[in-house]
Amino acid sequence: MLVLENIKKAYRKGDQIFNALNGVTAEINKGEFMAIVGPSGSGKSTLLNILGCLDTPTEGNVLYDGAELGKMSENELSSYRKKHIAFIFQSYNLIPVLTVRENIELPLVIDKVRTKKEISQKVMLMIEAVGLSGLQDRFPRELSGGQEQRVAIARALVKDPLLVLADEPTANLDSVTAEEIISLMKGINKTMNTTFLFSTHDPLVQKYAQRIAVLKDGLICSDERK
Amino acid sequence: MGALLKISIRNIHRHSRRTLSSAVTIAAGLTMFIFMNSMYKGMDYAAIDNMINLTTSSVKIHTQSYIKEKKSLPLDYGIDTYDSLTAYLASNQKVKSFTRRTEFLGQLSNYTDALPVVGTVVDPSSDTTVFNLHKYLEGEFFPGKSEKEIIIGRSLARELNVSVGDFVTLQALTRYESHNADEFIITGLINSSDPNLNKNTLFITYQDANIFLDLDNLITEIDLQVFRNQNLNIMTQEMEQVGTSIENHFSNLKTATFKELGAAFFEMAKQKQSFGMIFMLLILLIASVGIFNTVLMSVYERIREIGILRSHGMRGFDVMIMFCTEGFITGLLGSTLGLIIGSVANSFLIYKGFPLEAFAGNVNTTGMPVWGTIYGEWNPDVMFFAFIFGVVTATLAGLIPAYKASKMNIIETLRFV
Repeated sequence: MLVLENIKKAYRKGDQIFNALNGVTAEINKGEFMAIVGPSGSGKSTLLNILGCLDTPTEGNVLYDGAELGKMSENELSSYRKKHIAFIFQSYNLIPVLTVRENIELPLVIDKVRTKKEISQKVMLMIEAVGLSGLQDRFPRELSGGQEQRVAIARALVKDPLLVLADEPTANLDSVTAEEIISLMKGINKTMNTTFLFSTHDPLVQKYAQRIAVLKDGLICSDERK
Repeated sequence: MGALLKISIRNIHRHSRRTLSSAVTIAAGLTMFIFMNSMYKGMDYAAIDNMINLTTSSVKIHTQSYIKEKKSLPLDYGIDTYDSLTAYLASNQKVKSFTRRTEFLGQLSNYTDALPVVGTVVDPSSDTTVFNLHKYLEGEFFPGKSEKEIIIGRSLARELNVSVGDFVTLQALTRYESHNADEFIITGLINSSDPNLNKNTLFITYQDANIFLDLDNLITEIDLQVFRNQNLNIMTQEMEQVGTSIENHFSNLKTATFKELGAAFFEMAKQKQSFGMIFMLLILLIASVGIFNTVLMSVYERIREIGILRSHGMRGFDVMIMFCTEGFITGLLGSTLGLIIGSVANSFLIYKGFPLEAFAGNVNTTGMPVWGTIYGEWNPDVMFFAFIFGVVTATLAGLIPAYKASKMNIIETLRFV
């Protein structure tokens, strides 16, 4: 469903040109639980940004179910992101002025497709799925790190995305909570068949991942399925 | 839009101190704007009051023939429908009071020097109900203690080196164009805000003028006062209505309101108001800088939040709307507060007045000095303008930082610490 064809990305830093990706080619199938690993500066985040329609490649194509992202305008990319892609960030990135429920419903409200009732039902389902029942009216500042990341997961999944991109989702969590969170995502991956793509250094994530791609100097040097 | 509004309102609430300080800045600007505007209008009104009460009255009535010859102030073309006119004026509910006057040209002498003067024959019993010369008088307003009493301007008295109680000789052509001269005793000196009145004007009574000028109760001018209205425009309209109705009833008469008589004054007042408006707009612009700063701070504090929203597919335009909404709400709060405080301050100015004399002495406003207490005026159109200006300026002040926010690179905003 997701095809990367010879993706290259170059940045200009002053007079120098820095090549973050040097021709990444891969296929990611629906329902995969995949980790991209590699040292800092290897191009993991750049790849995730391109897959998340936050950035465009200098060369190459990204095809989502046949749709070519490189040909899309800024607004079309926003729209694609809104419908099909979700993010889970290392630092949770919840909106501090919104409650748990409001944070989770945010992607649906932005999408403006579902009715209030549908949104409410969907949000309550997600709250239950991530184990936050009873906390829906709390604000992010009233939650622990693990709970915040659960909210972020619920927010990512509420719109039934094609792809969830998680950038170091366990980096700010203790090992017990990290395992809970990864286990939760793995469970959702199994039950909902949602595709997860991680950028991570965490061995725990690698333990759960069914596919691990190693990125080095902007190229995939190893891609193994378990 | 619901989500945007919710986030905007919550952010405004979250940063309540900052919001309040911005709202107070706008409120202060608006309060000053409303108060100063009312004060300016009040000063104009006070100057107009002086003009009406000293020289022009609300409406002057002459015969049409007299108007044609007015420059020479002839003792002719009198109002021969005086009785029916006064009966009509007495029955008109908009007319507060009226009096008769007759102007003539003459010379005033202290037996050594003689100066040209404009004489006015007045009816002491009714003149004080229309004009308030008696309030600017050193001495007495025709006390009736002796025959041939005269009131002259203080500057004129100085030039002639005479004072209250002294005798002067008045020379003039009578109604039948024969020369006459007689001695008058000065009972009062006018020290008013109108230099013309102080310098070359004198007043005598009909009782003396009937003999001195062979006047035979010739009346060339009727002056009337309408009831004072807090709103100058309404009062002017009422004067015009009274004037028109008189002209409709008495075809040989011509009326002129104070606005026509003081046209030059109003032209200057208009120019002054334009300058005042620029000054007051500057106050509001300064307030808008405060708003700009607030929204800018808000944008920088929430750069990461912008990134999150955009990563969920929110368009840059929606982000811009969100920040503009915050500016709008802050503007709405500030403008409402300003309107309330401005109205309270204005009420004080309207009902209690501002003792200008105690603070600044006499103030010369467009050639017509003002003293005493200044009273403000309700100007709903100006208040509405100020309110809308406050809201719009605050919204626009948020536009530039909001536009910047909407154009930020999403990846950079997500990395922003």
